[in-house]
Amino acid sequence: MFNSDTLELLVSSFPKILEFGLKVTLPLAAIAFILSTVIAVIVAMIQYANVPVLRQISRFYIWIIRGTPLLVQLMVAFYGLPLIGIRANPFVMAVIVFSFNEGAYSSETMRAAMEAVPAGQLEAGYCSGLNYLQIMWHIILPQAFRTAFPSLFNALISMVKDTSLASSITVVEMFTRTKQIAGQSYNYFPLYIEVALVYLIFCTVLTYLQKKGEKILGTYGVRK
Amino acid sequence: MAILEIKNLTKSFGDNEILKGIDLQVNKGDVVSILGPSGSGKTTLLRCINFLEKPDSGILSFDGIDHDLSQITKNDIAAIRKKTGFVFQSYNLFANKTVLENVTLGLTSARKVPKKEAIEKAMDVLKKVGMDEKANQYPSQLSGGQQQRVGIARALATDPEIIYFDEPTSALDPQLTAEVLEVMRTLVDDGMTMIVVTHEMSFAKEVSSHAVFMADGVIVEEGFGKEFFENPKQARTREFLRLATN
Repeated sequence: MFNSDTLELLVSSFPKILEFGLKVTLPLAAIAFILSTVIAVIVAMIQYANVPVLRQISRFYIWIIRGTPLLVQLMVAFYGLPLIGIRANPFVMAVIVFSFNEGAYSSETMRAAMEAVPAGQLEAGYCSGLNYLQIMWHIILPQAFRTAFPSLFNALISMVKDTSLASSITVVEMFTRTKQIAGQSYNYFPLYIEVALVYLIFCTVLTYLQKKGEKILGTYGVRK
Repeated sequence: MAILEIKNLTKSFGDNEILKGIDLQVNKGDVVSILGPSGSGKTTLLRCINFLEKPDSGILSFDGIDHDLSQITKNDIAAIRKKTGFVFQSYNLFANKTVLENVTLGLTSARKVPKKEAIEKAMDVLKKVGMDEKANQYPSQLSGGQQQRVGIARALATDPEIIYFDEPTSALDPQLTAEVLEVMRTLVDDGMTMIVVTHEMSFAKEVSSHAVFMADGVIVEEGFGKEFFENPKQARTREFLRLATN
């Protein structure tokens, strides 16, 4: 199976696979991750501050998203959104679905991290004359973000791999591109190993970035 | 002139009545110490005065303006808090901020003081508590006594009309306690108005212009100057002072 033809195929397909990784898979994951973090912070803050009505809506959103498969959510969005007049290209649709999907999970991570900040921090903020939003911005969110950072990064690493599901709604991302190349040569197995290695490289780089990120966020002077 | 006056303040947690109608008047320059056994409601009283707990009823007048505590608004609470400082038993320094940022945040963020001015003011008060050389350290790098001195600097920075101290030395060993009490003495000498919930009897006796003894949610006895400590009138006060000073 591993003859010189195979080797040649692997070498010639590598740039094509990597191209779709860098042009589609990583941007999809990165944009969706940023949006999901914004959603997570908003949803977590609504629950932390116990805002009536919005809190119930948040819990409903988390319930729906966590209770249904990502693949089903992609399908529902792909076939359902056009029915209510929302037309978007598949990439944009995938970004939306991945953002809301990850947002639900990350909001729980953020909420837990916010609740882990001692109540005395909030009280000291009030006694310094700060209002609620100022305390959130300067005290609670930075501390919660530091705590949540490793878990949020976990989510990003998961998402890089889950983007392969976007192929189900016609997004040609790295895995779909690999399947196309493999289909032309009928030589599937080596190419799937190759694309697995590319995912592995992406995630290795992300793991390195996580380590750097944790250093930058610091531990507020706690010596390790 | 009274800065703070409270009348018939009550507070319950569920069925548990913690404060059963407290009256207290604090004049400018007063150093009021609140004494009493654990569970008497001292800390709850202090927290109610600064709305860290929501009082059930009563009247609080601050700077001569009366507020009905059962229906005080968020804006009134915020306005009163901006004129007060609070020092916590567990310091509660902002963990993600340096010593300097802990002191400037209330100025730059809550009071819109320009950054440069805020830093000057912060360095002034940090110098006063002997912590100016640690300005760029984080709270976790400081000893308990140092953290509490920063806590006092943070309260001082906003030029409050009154500072509330909630058992500021209870978490400290005798040496660190002495270090914090020394700083508090300088505030007394400056004429700062303060209410101090404390178990440090000799310190209370030394600095108090007005002492209050609480038990079971009521003020059992109050007195002015050393008279309170030397000639307590109630048996309960005498017993407490005898145990506490031995």
